[in-house]
Amino acid sequence: MVSLAISGFGTVGQGVAEVLRRREKFLTERYGSAPKVVCVMDSKTVARDPEGLDLAEIEKRKLETRSVGTETYSDSLEVLGSVDYDILIEVTPTDIKTGGVGLKNIKLALSRGKDVITVNKGPLALEFSSLIGLARKNGCKFRFEGTVGGAMPIINLCHENLVGENIRSVRGIFNGTCNYILSKMDKGQPYEQALKEAQQLGYAETDPTNDVEGYDTAAKCVILANSVFHRDVTFKDVKITGISQITADAVAQAASHNMVIRLIGEVSDTKLEVSPRLIPVGHPLGISGTLNIAQIDADLAGPITINGRGAGKIETASAILSDLIAILDERYGHA
Amino acid sequence: MMVNAELYVRDLPGQLVGSLEPISMVDGNIVGVVHDREQMVNQRILVSVTFEVSTSGQLDQLKAIWKSMDIIISKMGSVYETITTEYMVLGKFNAAYVDGLIEQASKIVNFESVDVGYSSGKSVSGKRTALITAELRGEEERIRLDEFFVHSCERDNLMLIRGL
Ligand SMILES: NC(=O)c1ccc[n+]([C@@H]2O[C@H](COP(=O)([O-])OP(=O)(O)OC[C@H]3O[C@@H](n4cnc5c(N)ncnc54)[C@H](OP(=O)(O)O)[C@@H]3O)[C@@H](O)[C@H]2O)c1
Repeated sequence: MVSLAISGFGTVGQGVAEVLRRREKFLTERYGSAPKVVCVMDSKTVARDPEGLDLAEIEKRKLETRSVGTETYSDSLEVLGSVDYDILIEVTPTDIKTGGVGLKNIKLALSRGKDVITVNKGPLALEFSSLIGLARKNGCKFRFEGTVGGAMPIINLCHENLVGENIRSVRGIFNGTCNYILSKMDKGQPYEQALKEAQQLGYAETDPTNDVEGYDTAAKCVILANSVFHRDVTFKDVKITGISQITADAVAQAASHNMVIRLIGEVSDTKLEVSPRLIPVGHPLGISGTLNIAQIDADLAGPITINGRGAGKIETASAILSDLIAILDERYGHA
Repeated sequence: MMVNAELYVRDLPGQLVGSLEPISMVDGNIVGVVHDREQMVNQRILVSVTFEVSTSGQLDQLKAIWKSMDIIISKMGSVYETITTEYMVLGKFNAAYVDGLIEQASKIVNFESVDVGYSSGKSVSGKRTALITAELRGEEERIRLDEFFVHSCERDNLMLIRGL
């Protein structure tokens, strides 16, 4: 039976636990037994059991005590180094400047020959090629579907279903917070008010810089550029313009010409850019609300448009589940 | 794409209008028509028409229709694609600044047409918005104009929002 370690037990980590419980029967039927979770870490504590943890219990404990375990730790590498597991699910906070603890955890897991699934953008935006190199060297599977577009399948779609295509470009809306703000501005709200509303609804963080200045979208573009276009770029290579300087005046003028303004990430063999763009009303990339959307321009298939929820506890966990199934299928095949 | 075609049409009532109808049938747009009765050849008059279609498929369809109507296409030339592209400039500038930009841009691209609109709102910060809509001949010109606007706005500390 395959064993999992989960680093990070916030929104997404708890979503993973819930999805594993909800899909236990499916996984058991597909592989003979469901994966067991042998280690769960939050920022200060760890719960571990080589026989497999009771996920419902862990979720309950986290909710009641804000800790996953009673055992405290100071170094996650020490914990992960001492646990026997097959696949690491890395869902600690994204740190776009240093890669944070996620980068260290992923490096350790890959260098120990473990497969890794992550939705943490920081490590991939900063050290994509070295991580892929490490995975290859050690024969590990390294999957990260949920890093771009949350539940919207894009990376695996390009790698698997569209593998025979020459993908010319990917353009899309990869940040639901910005799109929510811009959609509200379409209705006449000034930027500050729309941002405040997004914060009150929990779409935007107290410090919205990463979203509104385009850094979050840029990290996703880096991941797409490296994984879909096989480029070797990092976060600093992206040309970024955010939405914080967009005025109500600009939105109104765009509307008077039957256009909306949207924050678009654009990636191709030669482009790597995040910027607000003028989109004709009715164009697929002109969507409103918090959804993510991407338009893939493939040479044989032509344009393919996908959209879906870019964030959310269960939605993001669904992307992790799809990566887990892909790894398990490769390991064990399926009925 | 913009197309110029010279057609020889039978000099009979209704033939001139009839020769133009297929352009609308393939969803094309007639930009200009000149007919010249002086240039009669085999009792046909010369009609010179300029029109716009979006795809070469439409053009092929149109040629087939003209052929079936016994219209002779003597020349079809100056075929070029026109692209409409938009640039929104945000910040502190005046109309003379935008005029200057367009004048400089016209040295590096051939504008088919260019139109500038300014926002009506008066902002306290003194910032304004200009929307420049340009029609250009082809993708290469668009790339050149994109680069020009990106460079100019970066240099002058203005925000630029490009069309898709
Ligand atoms: N939320 C989404 O919808 C979504 C969508 C796509 C991608 N992501 C990505 O998924 C990751 C997790 O997001 P989230 O929303 O679940 O964040 P979150 O709710 O803030 O949870 C982060 C978790 O990581 C733990 N943590 C922090 N520092 C740690 C450390 N040094 N070692 C181990 N664990 C540590 C936190 O511990 P405590 O519980 O003790 O604070 C918490 O359990 C991020 O990288 C994010 O960008 C999220």
